[in-house]
Amino acid sequence: MQIQPFSVNDGEGIRTNIFMAGCPLRCRWCSNPEGFEQKKLMGWHKRKCIGCGACTAVCPQGIGIDLNAGRDRCTACGACADACPEEARTRMVTLMDADDVIREVLKHRLFFSYSGGGVTFSGGEATSQPEFLDYLSRELYDAGCSIDLESCGYFDFELVRPSLERMDLIFMDLKHMDPAVHKEFTGVSNERILENIARLVTLGRPAENGAAGHGAPETVIRIPVIGGVNNSEENIAASAAYVHDVLPAAKMELLPYHSLGRIKYEAIGMPFDQEGFYTPDKEEMKKLRGIAAAQGVEIVDYR
Amino acid sequence: MAITKRVEKIRDNYVNTKPHISYERAWSWTKSFQRTEGQPHLIRTAQAFYDTCCELSVNIWEGELVVGTSGEFRKCAILTPEFGWLWIDEEIDTFPERGQDPYDVTPEQTEFIRKNIFPYWKGKSVEEAFLARTSEATKKIGVDTGFLDTDSKWRNGIGEISADYIDVLLPKGYGGIRAEAESYMAELDEAIPSDKEKIDFYRSMVLVADGMITLGRRYSMKAAEMAEAETDPVRKRELAEIADVCSRIPEQPPKTFREAIQFVWFVQLGGIIAENPLAWNPGRFDQYMYPYYKADEEAGIIDYDTALELVECLWLKYSEWAWTISRNTASFFAGYTNFENLTVGGTKVDGTDATNTISYMAIQATRECMTHQPTLSCRIHPDCPPEFMEAVTELVSTGCGFPAIHGDRTGYQMLSNLGYKPEDARDWNNCGCVVPHSRKTFEWTSAASISFAAALEFALNQGRSRLSGEQVAPEEKDPKTFASMDEILEAWKKQFRYLVRHGVISLVTAQEIHREIGHRPFMSACNEYCMKNGRDLVDGGAKYNIGPVFTGVGLSVMANSLAVIKKLVFEDGVTTMAEIIDAIDSNWEGYEQLRELALACPKYGNDDDYVDSIARDLADFFYEEVTKYDDLYGNHFVTAFMGISNYLPTGKVLGATPEGRHAKDPINEGVSPYTGSDKSTCLAALRSAAKMNHDKHSGGTLLNLRLNHDLVATKRGRANLGAMLQSYFALGGFHVQFNTISNEVLADAQANPDKYRSLLVRVAGYSAQFTNLSREMQDSIMARNAHEAF
Repeated sequence: MQIQPFSVNDGEGIRTNIFMAGCPLRCRWCSNPEGFEQKKLMGWHKRKCIGCGACTAVCPQGIGIDLNAGRDRCTACGACADACPEEARTRMVTLMDADDVIREVLKHRLFFSYSGGGVTFSGGEATSQPEFLDYLSRELYDAGCSIDLESCGYFDFELVRPSLERMDLIFMDLKHMDPAVHKEFTGVSNERILENIARLVTLGRPAENGAAGHGAPETVIRIPVIGGVNNSEENIAASAAYVHDVLPAAKMELLPYHSLGRIKYEAIGMPFDQEGFYTPDKEEMKKLRGIAAAQGVEIVDYR
Repeated sequence: MAITKRVEKIRDNYVNTKPHISYERAWSWTKSFQRTEGQPHLIRTAQAFYDTCCELSVNIWEGELVVGTSGEFRKCAILTPEFGWLWIDEEIDTFPERGQDPYDVTPEQTEFIRKNIFPYWKGKSVEEAFLARTSEATKKIGVDTGFLDTDSKWRNGIGEISADYIDVLLPKGYGGIRAEAESYMAELDEAIPSDKEKIDFYRSMVLVADGMITLGRRYSMKAAEMAEAETDPVRKRELAEIADVCSRIPEQPPKTFREAIQFVWFVQLGGIIAENPLAWNPGRFDQYMYPYYKADEEAGIIDYDTALELVECLWLKYSEWAWTISRNTASFFAGYTNFENLTVGGTKVDGTDATNTISYMAIQATRECMTHQPTLSCRIHPDCPPEFMEAVTELVSTGCGFPAIHGDRTGYQMLSNLGYKPEDARDWNNCGCVVPHSRKTFEWTSAASISFAAALEFALNQGRSRLSGEQVAPEEKDPKTFASMDEILEAWKKQFRYLVRHGVISLVTAQEIHREIGHRPFMSACNEYCMKNGRDLVDGGAKYNIGPVFTGVGLSVMANSLAVIKKLVFEDGVTTMAEIIDAIDSNWEGYEQLRELALACPKYGNDDDYVDSIARDLADFFYEEVTKYDDLYGNHFVTAFMGISNYLPTGKVLGATPEGRHAKDPINEGVSPYTGSDKSTCLAALRSAAKMNHDKHSGGTLLNLRLNHDLVATKRGRANLGAMLQSYFALGGFHVQFNTISNEVLADAQANPDKYRSLLVRVAGYSAQFTNLSREMQDSIMARNAHEAF
């Protein structure tokens, strides 16, 4: 996992994002490839590297400067990152003790409370570590901290229901309405995701038998608009119509594709193959937002 | 709305002309002093002020609504040879061409000044007295060294006063001040020695008041003459109105907003003529101006836009006056900045929110005029109205570097710690750049600049300057033999104590001289308690007499350096003291890898207690050491981490430092992280800075950060910025200021200065026009770390 303080586009106010590695999807436009697998991972930023060899000198596995050439032997112990004077070797994914995570994020509670911010669970896919998510969300909920979740929507709903119910806001992605296209570009069909979006309406519970109730989280269904994949007017209209139908209270956010993940692919030695996608321009985004809004959905923007 | 045509024209002139040296004031002052030989110095000063008010040329410039200039040029820089003239004599020929803050001056003027003015002051100036009374040892460490500097207190007028508009000036007018002085005088008996001194003081008050009244009347007559000759009916009417206003102002208390604006400018002008002062602060403008606005608005004689135009005219008057300073001083205070600090917002004395229409008008005027003066400061209290926060952060987003943003409660606490009563502490305003101040106070707020990094250099170089090799400080053992952090810290403390001690000696000497020949009748007339006590400011007449302030420079360089030695030598054992000393002796040449290791050590500004705790301990030591000493008046000295642009000259005199800095590179200002070393988030930088126990350092603390413009481009982003500010203040931080202009824009401005004449940027605790800064200053601003990721 990784902690990223000072995030302002994933919910209200100033937030700390907790990226939890491991994701059941393999979206071909993904900008966070380090989050695919649930394991520690080192990165090598070739452009920052001055070739001093400080990393090699301390590596217990004897890996050279080119980390990717010896990646199969890397245990992600982090010795090279500590030795590197240029921050060319970095920890992309680390293991962290849950209580350390809580201590770290709550350092910023003043910034949270003044801005109406808090913590956003993100990924990778936060629900891929259900027990960790349950523990963190409970502790932070009890600390009075605002918590949001960003999810791909592909998970066992009942397993993570307690975590979901603690959230103030849930962002869930809807990448394509066509199951076949969805499978082609993300590796899984969209059925479970559509189902989970519909089940969000069941969150929240009234007070009963002396137990405190809990309001339903706010929901925002997000479409990452990938030029060439899901940016047809029909798909956007169908997506918004579906959301409006099954989850009338939900808002929607349309985010344009970006290729900033390229440097991460380089750092972890994975091929970057996103040449087929493009970033819709402002005009196109405006038009698509209008189409979604026409289905009766409120469009939001956390910029 | 956009600025009016009138304001635009005045502004164009301000942006496109160089200040011109005027000797009118110096000439009148000199002639007056020639006539008053033998009189008490206080009386001579007041008489010189009066004579100057009678003789100074009276000019009303095209389009002006607010009138009054300190000489024959619209952008005027005047001379005060009674404080110091040696440096002017030495440098005046280079004034027009020098890199930082040039002034126009003609050869004829220069000749006149050298022939008629300087000869009289030979041996009589404050500067000469200081140099005559100062030992060689003190000079070696504390005169023009960049290690320890106090010369703003013996080469220039002092300034550093906040006019008391609320209890003295506006309700009384100079007619009232004169009458009050006379009624006190009537009760005194010349045959009683203590009364005799007071009589002199009250005579000085009468002379000052008469000078101000005369000045107003002369402007009234001039305006009437010009109205008579004017053919344009609109301008004719305006001139007639100026004549009418100045027929009463500043003798009588103003009755309207229009009169109050003119009154405030006359007071400012009076201070300029008296001392050519730095940090001559208008104070809480929104508090004393609002009642006039409200009354006029209710009476239907003014509307918002009319008032705004007057305020903008005033802003341009604040900016047209240029402070005359030496090349060396200009490197400390770059950009013609005279620190006329004007404060808005905060709480009233009763604890309720103080914002009003004028608070917003002041912010709007700064945004529209983009003048480098007044130095606009905002006080932000925990319950600050969201609209005010939006106005403040919106101004930040323009990138002009204004306003300086201050935490209300920390400012209150800083004054409380100095012994202020709650009602006065709550009423604090800013002085200069980031000093919490009061209109009831006499204090040298920027007295000594003391370099933490210089003390380290001496500790690690046997008391010698690394660049010159000269023995300037106490001897120390061979740094290669230091065997523990404690030993190094002790050596640093020894050197730092030495700097403090010589700073104290210098400043007490300067205080003695000012008590003899630095009387301040004009400023004393602006201070409620001087009148009550019958004593000039330099004789301790004010309600609060606060000890002079030491400004610490280079805190982060020092803390980062100690962290490097601690980690690399004494913990990790990857290098030795000998190697570090060799590396900095050779300016890191041949030690590039060691330098990389040093750069990778924890750096202040990233919320890392490993180094932040070192910085805090150093700051606390600074406080303990400085406050041990008392000044001439029995008040303890005070600490600050202010800014000004002193991080350049203080860096230029130093060799390389252990944290990886190269020789002559800048150090750092205030409690700011070292340029580029705060690599985490803005939140981490704020958290590090907040650890410095700000309330102890009652002379003020300064934090400069750069923010990527995108972060404040939306209303939502600005609300988050507001939340960051409130958090910083809740953590105990005092001041923060932002540059938000991208380096692309700044680079373009360097290449095409003509396109960017009006571009204002943050220097340190103040803003200046970017194109008025020297190339190296521009570069150092661009090098400051921009926090990209929100």
